[in-house]
Amino acid sequence: MKIHRIRAVMMRHGYEARRNFDRVTDTIYWPVLDIVMWGFFTIYLSNSNRLQPTVVSCLLGAIILWGTFYTFQRDMAVGFIDDLWCRNLINLFSTPLSVWEYLIGVILVCLIKVGIGMTAAALIAWVGYSFDIFPWLPSFIPYMANMLLFALAGGIAITGMIFRYTTKIQALAWSFAGLLAPVSCVMYPMSSLPPWAQHIAWAMPTAHSFEGMRGILAGRGFSAEHFWWGAGLNAIYFVVAIIFFGWIFEQSRTKGLLVKQD
Amino acid sequence: MLVKVENLSKTFGDFQAVDNVSFGIERGEIVGMLGPNGAGKTTTIHMILGLITPTSGRISIFGDSMETHRESILERMNFTSPYTAFPLRLTVLENLKVFARIYNIKRPRERIDELLERFGITKLRDKAISRLSSGENTRVGLCKAFMNDPQLLLLDEPTAYLDPEIAWQVKNALLEAQREKGTTILYTSHNMDEVERMCKRVVFLHHGKVIAVGSPIEITQSILEEEREEPALEEVFMRVVRGKAA
Repeated sequence: MKIHRIRAVMMRHGYEARRNFDRVTDTIYWPVLDIVMWGFFTIYLSNSNRLQPTVVSCLLGAIILWGTFYTFQRDMAVGFIDDLWCRNLINLFSTPLSVWEYLIGVILVCLIKVGIGMTAAALIAWVGYSFDIFPWLPSFIPYMANMLLFALAGGIAITGMIFRYTTKIQALAWSFAGLLAPVSCVMYPMSSLPPWAQHIAWAMPTAHSFEGMRGILAGRGFSAEHFWWGAGLNAIYFVVAIIFFGWIFEQSRTKGLLVKQD
Repeated sequence: MLVKVENLSKTFGDFQAVDNVSFGIERGEIVGMLGPNGAGKTTTIHMILGLITPTSGRISIFGDSMETHRESILERMNFTSPYTAFPLRLTVLENLKVFARIYNIKRPRERIDELLERFGITKLRDKAISRLSSGENTRVGLCKAFMNDPQLLLLDEPTAYLDPEIAWQVKNALLEAQREKGTTILYTSHNMDEVERMCKRVVFLHHGKVIAVGSPIEITQSILEEEREEPALEEVFMRVVRGKAA
């Protein structure tokens, strides 16, 4: 593992983020648009006395944090798809660059992009809707770390599948997080789900993160139970994702898919 | 022997792409790999690069196996093909800077400028890849291929899409690298005149098998089965494609 090669991957995706308007849109436009829209919605509900201030905070906080999860998972897979679309994979993997260095480079770029998007959304929520997430951030960090680790595991698994099935399944890059949204309990407590869905939600680190964060905003303090459930599940998903990715990358080499690129 | 390929085979499902191929390349040699489309040339090159796992057989480069020494081998070799591409929105300079970083080139900007000049594309430095012609793209690929001053170069049709003048420049650059730095080159091309001039030895593939190995004149005599004084690889190629040597 060489730092200069990881930096090369970061340079490649950094240039792409600067030159490709799609990537600028992904990083800033959608997180900002989401928060603007939901912000107006919470103003409407607050004005008609349908909502308590804590619920407004929960909604806006959830939008910002779900945006972080979604962006991270999507950008990881899309970063890889960019190289697939422009037939650059042969160029990259015929150098000493290893697939793990490539993956780490993409992850680091995603973290930077997520940080930019989240900061932009948080600033708008603060200036436009008087919701200041920043004082909450230190107590949110363990839950956010869990969410990002889950996004990472998902991103690795999706990237692996795109290695194997190429662009045929590229839509997963954009849709996978959406699939998890209903059982991640972003906007509502886990208890509001039907019993069968609650069982699924318990297996989602995101659901535990949102439950924990709602508890903090409601003044119930930090829930170690939700944090450790999320961390334990993440440990399993992360190991499975890494094993799956390593296996599927070898499958792609065996089947010649790395050079097929369609 | 710098490159040693022994009993290399690759099957994709029922299709045998490469069938028990063996050949070697000596240090400083320029070896041509010829054959009709689908003969197994590109698959063989991809296996040498470690992009495709062989079904069976062994590849050793610089005396080491690609399976166990991938990183150290690839640091000393490079590859280009007009059928690969670079990120379209990035400029020529940005793309080359990425590869300079991968190879940890000291003073990358100087190295890139030198390569751009060598292949006559200095004026394209700040142009996006999407705005280049095929020939210009091929030359950017060659700049990438020479980035790490490789001891072994694998070139898949390096003069495809180039006009005769530029192709001549590229061939000179390759011959100069071989003469001055002892660069070993494995070269595929559909331009038989070029192969005759450039390559000391040729490996001829057909239906995934090696059907002849030797100098252009030896290949000519062996496949045409007649005495010749000059190599005639074009004729050999036509004979093979039409099935007379299959």
